[in-house]
Amino acid sequence: MSKQIHRRTVLKAAMAGAGLIGAGPLLSARPAKAAPEELTMLSWYGHAEPDAVAEFEEVNNVRIKKKYYVGGDQMLALLAQSPPGTYDVILTDREYVEQLVAADMIERLSPEDYPFDDFFPEFQKFPGHWMGDDLYSVMIRFGYLGLSYNTAVLTEKDAMSYAVMWDDKVKGRVGHFDWHLPNFGVVSQFDGNADPFDLSDDRWQAVQDRVFSLKPQVAGYFDYGGVLSSLRSGEVAAIPGIGDWITGVLQRDGATVATAIPEEGGLMWAESLSIGKGSRRPDLAQRFIQYMTSPAGQVRTAKLQAYPALLPTEGGWKALQASDPDEAARQGMVASGPNAMDLLRNGRIKPRALPVRQSLEAWNDAWSRYKNL
Amino acid sequence: MLSVTNRSPGAVLSATAVSRGTVPRFARLIYPLAWATPMAAWQTLFFVVPLGFLIVLTFWKVENYRLVAALDPVNWIAVYGTPYFWSVYLRTCAMAAGAAALISLIAFPCAYFLAFHLDKGARRLAVLLLITPFFTSYLVRVYTWQAFLGDNGLINAALQGAGREPVAMLNTVFGTFVGYATLCLPLVVLLQFMSLVNIDRSLIEAARNLRCPPWRTVWAVIVPSARVGLVLGATFAFILTFGDFVSPTYLGGGNPPTLGILITDFTKAGNQWPRAAVVAVTMVTTLILVAFFAVRFAYKTRRRSHG
Amino acid sequence: MADRIKRPAALWLYTGGIYLFVFAPIAASFVFSLNADRFPTLPLGGFSLDWYARVFTDPAVWEAFSHSALAALATGVLATFLGFGAAYTDYRYKFFGKSAYLAIALLPPTVPVIVLGLSMLAYLSRLALSGALYSIVIAHAVLCAPFAMAIIRLRLSQMDSALEAASWNLGAGPWRAMRHVVLPFAAPSLVSALFLTMAISFDEYAIAWFVSGLNETVPVRVLSILQGSVSPEINAIGGIVFLTSILLVVAAQVVHLRSSRRDARSARTGD
Repeated sequence: MSKQIHRRTVLKAAMAGAGLIGAGPLLSARPAKAAPEELTMLSWYGHAEPDAVAEFEEVNNVRIKKKYYVGGDQMLALLAQSPPGTYDVILTDREYVEQLVAADMIERLSPEDYPFDDFFPEFQKFPGHWMGDDLYSVMIRFGYLGLSYNTAVLTEKDAMSYAVMWDDKVKGRVGHFDWHLPNFGVVSQFDGNADPFDLSDDRWQAVQDRVFSLKPQVAGYFDYGGVLSSLRSGEVAAIPGIGDWITGVLQRDGATVATAIPEEGGLMWAESLSIGKGSRRPDLAQRFIQYMTSPAGQVRTAKLQAYPALLPTEGGWKALQASDPDEAARQGMVASGPNAMDLLRNGRIKPRALPVRQSLEAWNDAWSRYKNL
Repeated sequence: MLSVTNRSPGAVLSATAVSRGTVPRFARLIYPLAWATPMAAWQTLFFVVPLGFLIVLTFWKVENYRLVAALDPVNWIAVYGTPYFWSVYLRTCAMAAGAAALISLIAFPCAYFLAFHLDKGARRLAVLLLITPFFTSYLVRVYTWQAFLGDNGLINAALQGAGREPVAMLNTVFGTFVGYATLCLPLVVLLQFMSLVNIDRSLIEAARNLRCPPWRTVWAVIVPSARVGLVLGATFAFILTFGDFVSPTYLGGGNPPTLGILITDFTKAGNQWPRAAVVAVTMVTTLILVAFFAVRFAYKTRRRSHG
Repeated sequence: MADRIKRPAALWLYTGGIYLFVFAPIAASFVFSLNADRFPTLPLGGFSLDWYARVFTDPAVWEAFSHSALAALATGVLATFLGFGAAYTDYRYKFFGKSAYLAIALLPPTVPVIVLGLSMLAYLSRLALSGALYSIVIAHAVLCAPFAMAIIRLRLSQMDSALEAASWNLGAGPWRAMRHVVLPFAAPSLVSALFLTMAISFDEYAIAWFVSGLNETVPVRVLSILQGSVSPEINAIGGIVFLTSILLVVAAQVVHLRSSRRDARSARTGD
């Protein structure tokens, strides 16, 4: 008996020793603080990098462990197969919130925990983040999609209509971001559909025909990285259905590119934060969402190194104007004069959404057919 | 049930003949089982079951963006019913076959040189150097090719410097093939080299003494003796390029699409993993058939050349 | 005679060309890692060590490096062991169901990785084996073992089977014959297989992304940078990986030269 205890004590001591050695560098680096708490996050690239979260981590003594996905559906598949509670915070596009709710993968939230009073009225009960009166996701940033173009090839006036994509000037130099929704969406707007995603079968057929007629102009179908580098190198001169989240990044690098929202209209994307079903740290997750919707967090997400975005809160706008007036002006988040909200308010911009009357499969199928023409 | 193969005609001994009588039967089984079981157990446990799941998945349905267990042939009908599926399928087969043949041809002189014109130390170094590129991300290497192949890239800059017209290489099938070679060329050289280096030199000497011209020595002596490695190299090239979506995406511009791209397309349509699984199972079946015929071809020819 | 000299010269050049092709993207990536511009376009911007500074100061990258190195090492050893066993079995024995055995041994590379990744995750998470570093090792061993087997099998097929049988006949048990005859003969291919499988594991991202949970590896990090921000950090990471692997090769070469020199010396004194 005593022998047994003895062995166990030795073992324990050995383990503690090993633990100490392992943790040694960490302990000596920050002797005053307890070990940081961990918060897990599933998101697009960049949202858990130091430029976004360093302050939050420091203040709350938290370490964010992140996993980046490279496609919304990949994210859904990963969540479906992972043990519940693996991810505390989940950042997604608006279209996927609905799918996450339907698949029961995120928690319902209490609206009073978040500063909705500070949100612009349009975003206080943003469709897609609310299911009826239930809140599931809190918007932190958004942006517009129109026609991105190389300013050495096309003028801003050219780019004010999607018609220019069929022009000889960009023959063989039209690129596509390889996702059906934004591409069919903007062409649907070009076709004059007031709600670009709510199409009768006839209108849907017309949109497909219109898109298919673009085929001879097309250089290729690219993912995010491909879109960036092909625009940067001049390989492609026009890409529909993308926006400042691409061209803003390239402008920082000195590329001659810009995004126009053509007369026929543009789309809007929105990213939001949710709490994963079964999260073991819902309070900390909630605090993180509160931080990202606070002026401090908002400024960081507006200027995110990976890709910039517009802010849905007035407090965020004011803080950005105060701390970085140039960036505020570049993105049109200004106090007086025409600003970024005008486009949304005068109806030129429609939220990117899932097709209403057709299935997602039907839209994807049409897109695959287009690629194989 | 278990017997030793005697590949060399001279060997008349067999394992059972050697050890019979001295060791109990079950103990004699320990040795072969110790080598055979690990792979069988590992692949059964961690590969066959997931593969089975993949097949089962093709019969599942997607409801509310969620996978639901079912026994419904709808995915097979949907995928096989789309006309473009078959054009993508045939195109991918043709591209992979072309890549396997081309890369094998390109690799052979290099493997030949390593095997016959370098001494032992240089050979080791050459082989290690061939493997090091694998450590550096394939993604990064393919991405960097863009800087060479683009309209304003290195190669076209050089062409223009020489007063020549620029050539479109990026976002073409040529670009895809450059990527395929980046993926497979070192492996194919390696596999070819492995079989070339072990050819019995006396065969080559004999051919030379019979005044066989060098190219005939290569064709009539070396190629048949190295057949297994050559076929294996081509087969691996076919397998790897058949499923690759990085090169067609980043260097081919996704235009025209291959099966690898089609799979990701299906997963982009509201979680349609069952349809992606149908494409995957089709691909696996195709590759099994290719590998089966390749192996048969390799060994059959070999036997004839020995007989 | 002239013909004989000319032929290797042409082959020399040709082989040089192949190595140039293999190393060109790596060299270019290295150049771009020192380029101030974010995108790899011509003309180059200024010289900058900024991307390396970022990589070196990012703890996430270091974590990814240690994850990848550990997973690759474990995978390499495991896959080479599995591959050797299977190659030896195929070389030495005939048995009922051998083609099925070979099929499951060689099949994994035929399954598209993205789908294999998802089904692996589905399966491993049901066994509570997902989301950890060893999940990557489990999945990568499956993927890499066939490559090891192919290489080792090629080597074994050159071994005179009379050799092993003769040593059994001389009284050595099969285990001793394995140690003194088969393993030494297969050694070069074991080294190649180990290197190759480590390399394949070190560079695999699709399966690793699915099964690894929150344990980011280098290629997963590269993929997310490439698809999420396209920054020359990927070139810097590539540069570090490449220099490290070249250093390892050089070290291996030096060790080998030393030991072979020592062997030669002791052989001389032995005379």
